[in-house]
Amino acid sequence: MVRYFAGCDIGSTTGKAVIIGENGIAGQSIVPREIDPEETARVALSEAMKTIDELKSYKDIAYLVGTGYGRSEIPFAHENISEISCHAMGAYYCDTSIKTIVDIGGQDVKGIALGDDGSVKEFVMNDKCAAGTGRFFEAMSRIFRMELQEFSELSLKAKRAIPVTAQCSVFAESEVISLLARKNPPEDIAAGVQGAVAKRCFVLLKRVGITPKVTITGGCAKNRGLVKELEKVLRVEIAPLSVDPQIIGALGAAVYARKRSSVAV
Amino acid sequence: MIGATMDLQKLLDEPLNQLVEDAIEKGMLPVGYACSMVPEVLLSIGKLFPVRLRAPNVAGTEMADVYLSSVICSLSRSLLEFALEGKYSFLKGFVFTASCDHLRRLNDNLRYCEKPEFIDILDIPHKITDEAVQWTIDELRRFAQQLKSHFGVDAGNENVMEAIRRRNILNTLLRRINDLRKSQNPPFSGTQYHRLIMATQVVPPDDAINLASEFLESVTRNAEHPRFRARVMLVGGNLDDPSYTEIIESQGALVVADRYCTGSFPALEPYALEGDPYEILARRVLTITRCPRMMEGFPVRLEYIMNLYREYAVDGIIIESIKFCDTWGVETSALVSRLRERGIPVLRLEREYHQSGEGQLRTRVQAFLESMGK
Repeated sequence: MVRYFAGCDIGSTTGKAVIIGENGIAGQSIVPREIDPEETARVALSEAMKTIDELKSYKDIAYLVGTGYGRSEIPFAHENISEISCHAMGAYYCDTSIKTIVDIGGQDVKGIALGDDGSVKEFVMNDKCAAGTGRFFEAMSRIFRMELQEFSELSLKAKRAIPVTAQCSVFAESEVISLLARKNPPEDIAAGVQGAVAKRCFVLLKRVGITPKVTITGGCAKNRGLVKELEKVLRVEIAPLSVDPQIIGALGAAVYARKRSSVAV
Repeated sequence: MIGATMDLQKLLDEPLNQLVEDAIEKGMLPVGYACSMVPEVLLSIGKLFPVRLRAPNVAGTEMADVYLSSVICSLSRSLLEFALEGKYSFLKGFVFTASCDHLRRLNDNLRYCEKPEFIDILDIPHKITDEAVQWTIDELRRFAQQLKSHFGVDAGNENVMEAIRRRNILNTLLRRINDLRKSQNPPFSGTQYHRLIMATQVVPPDDAINLASEFLESVTRNAEHPRFRARVMLVGGNLDDPSYTEIIESQGALVVADRYCTGSFPALEPYALEGDPYEILARRVLTITRCPRMMEGFPVRLEYIMNLYREYAVDGIIIESIKFCDTWGVETSALVSRLRERGIPVLRLEREYHQSGEGQLRTRVQAFLESMGK
């Protein structure tokens, strides 16, 4: 029987699960966060298992690693590993030449420098403030009365970005409302918002070093407008990954699960 | 029994703890101080005893923020907040050193807002030269005169030497306890140790000696040998909340050595017992605190950390500093580079005085241990 290894990334906004078998990723899922992290993990794993007939229960998984802010709340995980290590390993699994990651999740931003084997050489995290995180984009797109995807596409249409100076989510919100009220082109304001977050990432990444290849992981990696602004401020190309960037943490956890399992055996 | 290890936390929950209350009832006079450069020995003479100023579980600094700007560190703001809330009303006076601008502003505003009956600030040079030692001796003698005028305390040479001898008893005990941390499986956690070292700074000297000797006896008799993934050293400025160490250790780190202002490093070296006691104190104030405010002392401070790193078989170093602390902010940048050049894993953490962002701290420490392959 094929042995399966799983990673479960319980983030602040979503739960992600990745199951790997003999031929790489066999199942994956992204589900909205439940109040109880354990429940989020169950739902995410159940979803990811749907494409694997051999797996009837998460108990059939040979080794499970939990990660993300709710990592220690998954009682059926064999161990938990920080999301910093998991994002590094997940990106390395996709592309062994990745040296720098910017991970923008629901409530934090991280800069990670990778060693030659996918280990973490150095990392920085933002503070407890939500500026520049997924929460920040949620608030911004709400002001524009748009879905995140729409907001991202809007920013790509900008002719001249209007700088948004405030880095605090609350102040940025009132600044953007004022700019909209003054009838500035929404696409230019949206591009300004992307630029403000990109600059924040620049500051973080400068502390770990911006060594190519650079990639972006986390839910906000799907924001094309942000990726474009990041490439501009970092002056490097952001390398796309072969899998959904939102599941990189869970993927890294699954890769660790396979490694740890062989050690445990 | 209040001195038992398990009760140390009780002594730290409020500035006015049971042992301080008992001492006040016996007619003793507690004097609050902030900064390790304050010669606490001079506050341990006659009826006086020193109490390190802390603001445990401070919820916010709304009132203090009216007087202190947001670029003043949260330690100074929290201490002023507690003063404004009347939580230091049991103290008979305050003593500061002009060690940094933040504590100077605290001293200024405490005078302005609370008008304490006794408050003093000691001027300490930034260099260690013969002239600086003489300046410090003169400053300590001036301070002793103030103590005499206000409290009627005789800080003559003999009494000062007696206080030094008593302090050496505590230091000897703390050194013996520290030596146990060098073993492969230390018999107690860094959190337990942090509670002890903090408790000794907020109770009368004789009680501090009792606490340390009970702790030593207890860990010798009932060694816990906590399990750990990596041995770490904690480096930084003022860190008076053992729950910070507890969070670090919850991720599998064991804090086996420390070099922070409220920690054990001054206790590792005994006071000299020969010569003019004021010169002994002056030299100690200038050298033993190894404060980054002192100019031209970086190589010595770095070497001190390196020695602890080797002596306590440390795997990695965590350097913490309070936001807006310019003294430690500058020091940390240089330290991180120099230590990493030597191949030592270093985690740099910035924090507020009060405990916040627990989840992020856990993640950072866990990732640090993982990056060390632990």
